[in-house]
Amino acid sequence: MTAPKVAFAGMTHLGLCSAVAAASKGFTTLGFDLDPAVVAPIDEGRLPVAEPGLDALLAENRSRIEFSADRARLGDCDLIYVSPDIPTDDSARSDLTAIEGLLEAVMEAARDDAVIVVLSQVPPGFTRQHQKSGRQLLYQVETLVFGRAVVRATRPERFIVGCADPERPLPPPLASFLASFDCPILPMRFESAELCKIAINCCLAGSVTVANTLAETCERIGADWSEIAPALKLDRRIGAYSYLSPGLGIAGGNIERDLATVIRLSWEHGTDAGAIRAFVANSAYRKDWALRTLHEALLGEASEAKLAVLGLAYKENTHSVKNSPSIALIENLAPWALSVFDPVVPANAAPHPRVTGAKSALDAVRGADAVAIMTAWPEFHDLSPSDLARAMRGRLLLDPYGVIDVKAARAAGLDIRTLGVA
Amino acid sequence: MLTHQNSRPTPPKRVVIIGGHGFIGSTIHADLAAANVPVLPLGRPQLDLLSDEGSDVLKAQLSPDDAVVFVSAVAPAKTLADLMTNLRMAEAACAAFAAVKPAHLLYISSDAVYADDANPVSEKSAIAPSTMHGMMHAARELIFRTEYCGPFAALRPTLIYGARDPHSGYGPNRFRRQAMKGEPITIFGEGEEQRDHVAVEDVARLARHILFHRSVGALNATTGVSISFNDIAHMVAAQFSPKAEVKSVPRPGPRPHLLHRFFDITECRKAFPDFHFRTLPDDFARVHREAVEAAT
Repeated sequence: MTAPKVAFAGMTHLGLCSAVAAASKGFTTLGFDLDPAVVAPIDEGRLPVAEPGLDALLAENRSRIEFSADRARLGDCDLIYVSPDIPTDDSARSDLTAIEGLLEAVMEAARDDAVIVVLSQVPPGFTRQHQKSGRQLLYQVETLVFGRAVVRATRPERFIVGCADPERPLPPPLASFLASFDCPILPMRFESAELCKIAINCCLAGSVTVANTLAETCERIGADWSEIAPALKLDRRIGAYSYLSPGLGIAGGNIERDLATVIRLSWEHGTDAGAIRAFVANSAYRKDWALRTLHEALLGEASEAKLAVLGLAYKENTHSVKNSPSIALIENLAPWALSVFDPVVPANAAPHPRVTGAKSALDAVRGADAVAIMTAWPEFHDLSPSDLARAMRGRLLLDPYGVIDVKAARAAGLDIRTLGVA
Repeated sequence: MLTHQNSRPTPPKRVVIIGGHGFIGSTIHADLAAANVPVLPLGRPQLDLLSDEGSDVLKAQLSPDDAVVFVSAVAPAKTLADLMTNLRMAEAACAAFAAVKPAHLLYISSDAVYADDANPVSEKSAIAPSTMHGMMHAARELIFRTEYCGPFAALRPTLIYGARDPHSGYGPNRFRRQAMKGEPITIFGEGEEQRDHVAVEDVARLARHILFHRSVGALNATTGVSISFNDIAHMVAAQFSPKAEVKSVPRPGPRPHLLHRFFDITECRKAFPDFHFRTLPDDFARVHREAVEAAT
């Protein structure tokens, strides 16, 4: 068959990155959103998300991709991905209102022979519940990683596809599109595919929880987790790409959502989710590492301390502050003067009554008694410990992610605290 | 976890302290009085919650504007009879609260409500007491929370020390009394078990913060620093000149399965960011001075 025309409905993070990746593979692509106000800036090249390489990839493939809020344009497409980001509430539960509305609109506008694929993260049972007679509706697992979305979308490890009957061949437009990425394709029943996405995130959460638990032990017994993790990665049963970097709990929203879904399923079906609850509890505990360390090292006795926080995003290379450990820390620093700097997130995202936004990292740390590097932005790796020490009034440097070289920081006279290092 | 109904600290119109003449209750009274808060302390002479008229007596003393601190207990509750006695006291208080609902209720509970193996203990730890005393506090928390139906907070102190502590449980208070009598301070085995010790004055200040913020929920009154009984004994011994003797004696029973208990006090940091606990061994010097003054 000729190359299918592909559409992505929902021009938020997932849909936008996936659409640009499709265009980069040579497919004529439509980026669709119900809201013209969302489409217009994208069409002008002003993207609503910060992802390394995304702007350049779009520019390279601009001739193959269009953006529109005109539903009629969906009628031209052979394959339509429904791909809005799914928001979560404070208890990490998905709000499916937007995707259900968008899916209905797509089903009304698409040709009868078009293949529709749900790409967003939906709970098990969603795709089967939304089957309509005469419609080809499938599900595909998305594995977007904030900050690495372009790489993940253009060079996926595999495709996981939920089908009504995995024994039957995939619909030709979908098969043709997926084949162009030259990676394994794993068809399975709807519920398996939906749960597979959750299983991936549970495994990641498990690895992170192990790393966090043992990193804290390292901090207390004189060990160094950064010496241990490489040995684990050489164990084939664990793997070179395993999530073994200690962090400040699980953030970003997606993994938390899946953990919450497993716990909800355990309530509904009487299964044991004790391990998953432990992941959640450890995440909440570890998220407060910086607050605990600040109090133990400084705030327990210094009522007039001036603090600086570098980084507000939940991780580097993203604008997202969803469940950000930095934001969680700042919420509890109200009594102290605070300056902040993030390369992307504006200072007014910091929930603090008298926060000062700085123009640079060094500007933020000037005169600070303690500095916390809460997001491992690449530019923070370039900070010189001696420059930091000169600019600061105090000596305490919280560097949970090991952005600054520990030996160099100590040589500069800084009292550096890093996750997993005694 | 605590949530504050007053975003800015606001003194209650009056605080009624049930158990206001005891070690903790009187310290809370003194702390509130120093903050110019009107206080009505109710002790056994004014109020016997186990008597037939106890509930009516309390009702007659209450006003809807009052904040109430409930710190009265037969403690430590070691027997079934102790447990039931304490529950009847709570039942009588709840009958009074049903007639005159106070604006805020603070119950002084205990860290004994938590499971023995909850380490580090936080307010999120499971309520799973292993002792009659812990079960008594857990049951009373439940009784007050469900029967009072108003803004309710539970403050759960760990081991409390203070110059006027009438109890002589294993720890700094007993150690000081032993040394004051010229006896050696005795620790069981090597005294290696680590525990958290909080000053009664810090418990009282936390109670005041909770009352002023009209907080709801639970908070541990713990410092986040766990110290071995051996170190505690030597800290207390160092207050005496010459330094008191610290002597190891055989344990009265097998070594406890739970050797150490640590607390994560992050929730306290979040609830009251600028609250600072007194630190050891410095605060033992203060307690020692007060105890000596009281004895002379």
